[in-house]
Amino acid sequence: MNANLILSVFSALLVLPSAGQQSLESNFRTTGATVVAAFESQRQVLQTSSAVMLNGRKEIGYGVVVSADGYVLTKASEIAEVKALSVTVDQRNYPQAKVLLVDSVWDVALLKVEASGLVPVVYAPTSAVPQGSWVVANGATTRTNRRALAGIISAKIREIPAAGGAALGVTLNPKSKLLEIDGVNEKSGAKEAGLQKGDVILTIEGRKVGKIEEIGEILKDRKEGSTVKVTYRRNKEEKTVDVRLAARSELFTDQMTRNDQMSGKFSTRRSGFPRVMQHDILGSSDVEGGPLLDLEGHCVGMNIARANRAENYAIPVEDLKEIAARMMKQAAGN
Amino acid sequence: MTLKNVMKSRLSCLLIALLPWCAFAQEGRLYVNDKKAPDSRKDLDAIQKSLISVLPKARAATVCIEISEGSGSGVIVSPDGLILTAAHVATGVKKKVTIVLEDGTKLKAETLGVVADTDAAMIKITEKGTYPFIDIDRAESARLGDWVFALGHSGGFDKERGSVVRLGRLVRMANSTFQSDCTLIGGDSGGPLFDLSGKLIGIHSRVGQQLQSNMHVPMSEFIKNWESLEKAEFVGEGPFAKKPEKGTGFLGLATEARKEGGLRVTKVGSKSPSETAGIKEGDVLLKLNETALEKREQLQDLLKEMAAGDEVKLDLLHDGKPQTLTLNLGER
Repeated sequence: MNANLILSVFSALLVLPSAGQQSLESNFRTTGATVVAAFESQRQVLQTSSAVMLNGRKEIGYGVVVSADGYVLTKASEIAEVKALSVTVDQRNYPQAKVLLVDSVWDVALLKVEASGLVPVVYAPTSAVPQGSWVVANGATTRTNRRALAGIISAKIREIPAAGGAALGVTLNPKSKLLEIDGVNEKSGAKEAGLQKGDVILTIEGRKVGKIEEIGEILKDRKEGSTVKVTYRRNKEEKTVDVRLAARSELFTDQMTRNDQMSGKFSTRRSGFPRVMQHDILGSSDVEGGPLLDLEGHCVGMNIARANRAENYAIPVEDLKEIAARMMKQAAGN
Repeated sequence: MTLKNVMKSRLSCLLIALLPWCAFAQEGRLYVNDKKAPDSRKDLDAIQKSLISVLPKARAATVCIEISEGSGSGVIVSPDGLILTAAHVATGVKKKVTIVLEDGTKLKAETLGVVADTDAAMIKITEKGTYPFIDIDRAESARLGDWVFALGHSGGFDKERGSVVRLGRLVRMANSTFQSDCTLIGGDSGGPLFDLSGKLIGIHSRVGQQLQSNMHVPMSEFIKNWESLEKAEFVGEGPFAKKPEKGTGFLGLATEARKEGGLRVTKVGSKSPSETAGIKEGDVLLKLNETALEKREQLQDLLKEMAAGDEVKLDLLHDGKPQTLTLNLGER
């Protein structure tokens, strides 16, 4: 892809009203109150079947209610570091929300709140709705009321490969002839697995590695969020650990592109999804994790990333159903 | 108050009440556009139905434009491959660009005219063929609040994804700019803005800080300058494209006169247009644009009259063999 994408950003001065201009009152704009009011029946579904994720009093995202007895799915990376997580469904707040499981490939967490009689989402029969179809999702919320925002399906369903490729999250000592670790990224799977500076990587998935290119070859087709077995040597002792893979460009985010700069807040984890549907609902990265509804109020997907100013990703309903069933089954077995 | 006056005021009321009806009667215009906002499932369905029905044709005509400086978007408006885009995507007149269709087909094209002060430009596909195209709104029928949709290759061409469609309303209209709440991003520049009947009403130009500040060049700017655009003229002074200045172009080589005529190349600049074209030290330049070269000053004088980006034709001896090549002058 070309590095230089063309679109001028002009200062706000140029868009201030001047003589001879007509301007549409904000109520009647796509995100305006009067337009949003047309989506009241879908908003009511969000009221009962979406969950609000709270860090103390601050809303940090949304969730999908997937069972009457309190199972909720949300975007895992948005709640990863939250100490006092609570969940609001409809008008009731549940202070003791427990994270039971995380699927790191899809970046989905399963939560349980102590509740009964919740209204789970009704799944749509298929995510294969034509481009241009209306979709509705959580916009903002008050303590008691959800707000809706609408947009359309705007591109083909597809995989979003890990940006920059899947990576362990280590830098190697260039002076060493061995694959000696020089640094470990703080947000990486390598860090979680306990890898340290000075460790020497010997094998990955049982295959001997001696050059950095060989690591690249093994990781080339791996999914972000999946794990690989890494054998390393530390003080003459060999050890094997599972290391979670992350997108290289999400680990080493020292440079924002021009498109990032014009996008406002975007999701930290925004690549490496096996399958997504794309929509154009205007919003910040704080609105991920909730259901994506069609005009029937049925759940066609779950919002999983705000990629940039113009592109939002959702997990398609077929995959969402599979994830929900699998995680709930696993949680019940634990 | 006289009866006459009462009559008058009734009449003006009537006229106001009649206005939406006139708009309603306009051919192909969706009734929802004449409501302040959609307020029923029927209204939402009507918007969705129109959009889905016109989208395939609009998408087929939307292209990605690749130039040396980056990538933008554009839209085909005639079966023989006339494309409208933004001036800051075309960057100038008579430049070689590559067009990428939705299915990934790449085509050679050349920029025609630009309107540098309002960001309008035209490109022509130079390969013969019949191309998918869309109709232009020539009647300036777009109104404030109309539902519109944007297409473009956001972030560059991506075959798996296709061009990205966004729905919004016309939220501000001024003489040379439309503003919509269809969110645009880098790579969308030059892409099309359509009304819900599938007619082209604008070309994406720029964004402001807010998500709702997305600026488009109205069709009227293109229609007004159509002849100049077709004739590959540079209109206006900027800021969206810079007029090529004489004397800014360079070949990137040093020469000395040869007794038997021609100029021997004594040095080729690293990464210069000459190096890229394959010219080597020891080659002999014989002609530039059909003018025989005998003195160094002669070459300098010819270049002084040209600008960066201009195409030049060189006849030379390369490894002793006659050769003709064309290259574009670099920018000093």
